[in-house]
Amino acid sequence: MSHEDHTLPGTLVIRAEHCRGCRSCQLACSFAKTGTFNPARSMIVMERHLADGRAAPMIKPIGCDLCGGDPVCANACKYGAITYEAGPSDVKVAIR
Amino acid sequence: MMRPASYVVRVNLTTGMVERTRVEDEALDRFLGGSGVGWRLVADALRPGVDPLSPENVICINPGVLVGTLTPGTPKTTIITKFPTDASEDGKHFIGACTAGGRYLGLALKRAGCHHLLITGKAKRPSLLRIRDDEIEVVDASEYWGRGIEEVMIDLVEREGPETGTIVIGTSGEHLVRHAMTIVDRGNSLGRGGLGAVMGSKNLKAIAVNGTGGVEVADPDPFLAASERMRESIMSWPRREHWIDLGLAAGWSTFKHTQYPGIWPKDRWDELYGEATRTETVENVIACNSCILGCRLRWKTKGGEFDGEVGYGSPFSKSATTGMLLGIEDFRKVIHFVADANSRTGIDFYTTTRLIDFVTKMYEQGRLTASQTGGLALTRDYETYWKLYEMIVARKGFGDVLADGWMRLKREFGLDPQDYWYAGICKGVDFIYDARPSNFHPLMMTFTTRPRPHHGGSHTRTNSRNRTLEEIRDQVERWGLPEETVDRIFTESDYSGKFNVGRYTRYMEDMMRVKNAIGLCTIYTYQGLLFGNDIAELYSAATGHRMTALDMIQCGERIHNVAKVLNVREGFRRADDAIPEVWFRPMESPEGRIEMQDYYQTKTLSKCDTDHILDDYYVERGWDVRTGTPTAERLNRLHLGSLASEGAA
Repeated sequence: MSHEDHTLPGTLVIRAEHCRGCRSCQLACSFAKTGTFNPARSMIVMERHLADGRAAPMIKPIGCDLCGGDPVCANACKYGAITYEAGPSDVKVAIR
Repeated sequence: MMRPASYVVRVNLTTGMVERTRVEDEALDRFLGGSGVGWRLVADALRPGVDPLSPENVICINPGVLVGTLTPGTPKTTIITKFPTDASEDGKHFIGACTAGGRYLGLALKRAGCHHLLITGKAKRPSLLRIRDDEIEVVDASEYWGRGIEEVMIDLVEREGPETGTIVIGTSGEHLVRHAMTIVDRGNSLGRGGLGAVMGSKNLKAIAVNGTGGVEVADPDPFLAASERMRESIMSWPRREHWIDLGLAAGWSTFKHTQYPGIWPKDRWDELYGEATRTETVENVIACNSCILGCRLRWKTKGGEFDGEVGYGSPFSKSATTGMLLGIEDFRKVIHFVADANSRTGIDFYTTTRLIDFVTKMYEQGRLTASQTGGLALTRDYETYWKLYEMIVARKGFGDVLADGWMRLKREFGLDPQDYWYAGICKGVDFIYDARPSNFHPLMMTFTTRPRPHHGGSHTRTNSRNRTLEEIRDQVERWGLPEETVDRIFTESDYSGKFNVGRYTRYMEDMMRVKNAIGLCTIYTYQGLLFGNDIAELYSAATGHRMTALDMIQCGERIHNVAKVLNVREGFRRADDAIPEVWFRPMESPEGRIEMQDYYQTKTLSKCDTDHILDDYYVERGWDVRTGTPTAERLNRLHLGSLASEGAA
């Protein structure tokens, strides 16, 4: 989490238990940032839990600029694992 | 914009030689890329008549053109090989394709620049093919030999890193069981026909892939706009919430009618294998890469002797039919069987359990004796089934016979596979569905006309019964088929009713070739959520090569003809596409007599009717009706003249 004195346009909310591991968030992010689809160049790390097959997205707080208030990762996630709450905030990423 | 480059990586396991070459644009134009180009590569690399379990066989691994892009549901990798299942009494083997999704494999291959991975030869010792971008090595994997799929996959990911895509064989593949499969990542299978044995014959225990590159598209803005529009459209599908809640556990209410084996009353089946057993067992639904309709399952057994057992994939449909066929009332026991086949032995569960069912009945009837089974009494109980299963996996005793499949039973003991009572057999492969409870819909027909008799990528709306003519017409029109073609498909006949399944099947197969080439999961076309025009728009933006839906389906036809010619030169003819005999025998069930009917259930189909339907299929293909093989004229029209001398009628 990052504290920046209510200067952020909103907060990305992660609900890892909703993640199905489709990696759409990583693909959307890397494409927006670099013009290619490459998970390694996205601002999201997808954890791979070998014990139960689950995946969980982790946002890199340094580097993520919330796409200026319209984050493509939240738009790409169709399972509710990453959502965006708009409004002045000092927290870039909240884990719930 | 420039079309993104594609590369073929050739690996010779005998010499360790690795070679990377760029695919020429001309091949991409004609064969789309992905498995389309893969078929062309196999046509050049595979000499006719080679033993599928010899070093000369090839394995060609092709992630789809759109894999790794933000496209709804394009995770698929298609693998082409010559399969070891004995397809005929005279020893023919089909060359076919199997396809699987997954979260890591296809994406890793693309990121490593392996758009086509062509493997030949045989490693000197049990080996792992390890790919880390340009660093491609055949490394010793003796420590993995004899170990189960799941533990090898976990070990590989722990060693190679969390992005690792894997293909792993189990112990049955090591023992060259002709119906051994492989598992991609976790829970996705490359099943019927025996790819696991082909890998085993090459001493190839596993493939582990990592890449660091990105996946590019030629025209980013139009691509993204089209992709987002389609994603939003799919999100409005009314059944999505139910679907992603249950994944492949959904659908019991239809399944119990269309895949009914006819032994127990349906209410008893409901009680033992119905919806409640599924909801009780599903833990979570897992999505493949880029899929917004995740369907693969992680399940956990509750109660009974296997309490707490966890598995991956989709155990429910297969366990329900097998449970009834084998008379196993506790669904947990059959799910344990599926879990073990997926995670340890890597054997095709369908073929294994159907063979066990068949020989057990033959033993009960005295057509198979203890002297022929090596003294093993084939009694109808779970413990004996399990013993047989282990014997097949290890090729021990009588298990060695069953490990060679249906044709060896016929050769050795005179037991005719066509006598089997459920689903039917064609080209040595037992089907997963039966056309009597499910009707003679186009998917049933592709099981007989495709070189490899399984659905891999074929599903369209018509798999479900009683889709309206309007809905089917809309689908084919959105694939861009000309009006006169559409009219032919819907010309009424006294053998196929208002919907000509034979003519439609031709286009369904061509669509399948397109979907597999681009890597699109067939769930999206099965549910009527994506169509040819959508696919053409995405493909055009991704590659910069403008294609209409009709252009694409014509490429699909070209790909299918290449696949067919390869099989014609192996000796396959119309007689090999025979409709299973059991479909013409009424199923006498506790629910009454069930006969194979046409798509809209207006009449019971006879052999004469299905012969007419097959005739229409070959005519629609422009092939020779008598031999069921492509004509030189048709191959020339598809610009496949170089193949005309090898496989034309």
